Amino acid sequence: MNVIRIIGQIGMLFAFSYIGSFLKELFHIPLPGSIIGLLLLLLGLSLKIVPTDWIQGGANVLITFLPLLLVPATVSVMKATTLFSGKGFILSGVIIVSTIFTMISVGWTSQLLERQVQKRKVESECNNSLSQ
Amino acid sequence: MQQFLISIIIIGLTVALYLVMRRLYSKYSYSFLLPLLTTTITIIVLLSMFHLSYETYMIGGQWINGLLSPAVVALAYPLYKQRKTLLKQLVPILGGILVGIFVGMVSGVVLAKSLGVSKGLLLSVIPKSITTPVAIQVTSEIGGIPSMTIVFVMIAGLSGAVLGPLVFKWSRITSPLGRGLAFGSASHAIGTSKAKEFGEIEVSTSSVSMTLSAILGSSFGTVVAWFFQ
Repeated sequence: MNVIRIIGQIGMLFAFSYIGSFLKELFHIPLPGSIIGLLLLLLGLSLKIVPTDWIQGGANVLITFLPLLLVPATVSVMKATTLFSGKGFILSGVIIVSTIFTMISVGWTSQLLERQVQKRKVESECNNSLSQ
Repeated sequence: MQQFLISIIIIGLTVALYLVMRRLYSKYSYSFLLPLLTTTITIIVLLSMFHLSYETYMIGGQWINGLLSPAVVALAYPLYKQRKTLLKQLVPILGGILVGIFVGMVSGVVLAKSLGVSKGLLLSVIPKSITTPVAIQVTSEIGGIPSMTIVFVMIAGLSGAVLGPLVFKWSRITSPLGRGLAFGSASHAIGTSKAKEFGEIEVSTSSVSMTLSAILGSSFGTVVAWFFQ
């Protein structure tokens, strides 16, 4: 019973992805159908048009197995045999270094801003309590 | 009939391999034993051993790959569940993502340029932190090589997922928000699949940054490409 329900919920998620692809074609949106589908589902959930029961279990299953679902796309690396010789090889090093830079800069920026927001909140609370 | 059999064998083998690798990972939990990485490498080794092409693998692989789109849609769910926390942290989230798009594209292209690679390759590096379908669009628009971009996107994804925990430790990125945003901004869906191991805030912020990087990155890529022509 539960399996049937989860399959139905995954079907629902497929529907959102198809609607996303359809809108992409229709309006020439430069985004993949799945991302448009994500935004649509988020909108639907937020506006309470889509109850969480429609997707919950299926969404959890797909997110749990996300790494498995990424395997075929990742295997495509094997097609780039030229990459792993000479300059291409060094270029993969560049990608790794740039990825580390990106992670650090994003992490630091958001952490810093997070603390700033926190501080401001505490300050305004202090001011409030002082003025009371 | 033969196609059907091949599909079943490939799907069965991929799922079985993944489950074994996941077991191995949860037992030893070394970062480089990331199931996506170990499963992919094993499959590539097996395919080359038996002289099978990627196209042959995809006879079965396409069925697994087909579930990727609804899985990306599914990321709306943790995002929805965390919406209140996310809205409260709007400034740190947007700030982090914008810096990520900038650093991700510019650092890649500057480093590649210093190596003196050809223009086509140089441009192919630009969208490497964005999710594959968008990265392909960006690269073909700016004159990069799509097949190369796919490889770079995969390397960015895998290296971010594998090195992430270490990078966080070195650079003292301790907040769940910062970690999630770093995963999604640098390593798109692969990073998001790793963020899942950390917690729900990490998954949802990673999904937000993956999505916004795709939306904003597609136009910013054109600017960076124009600048580095």
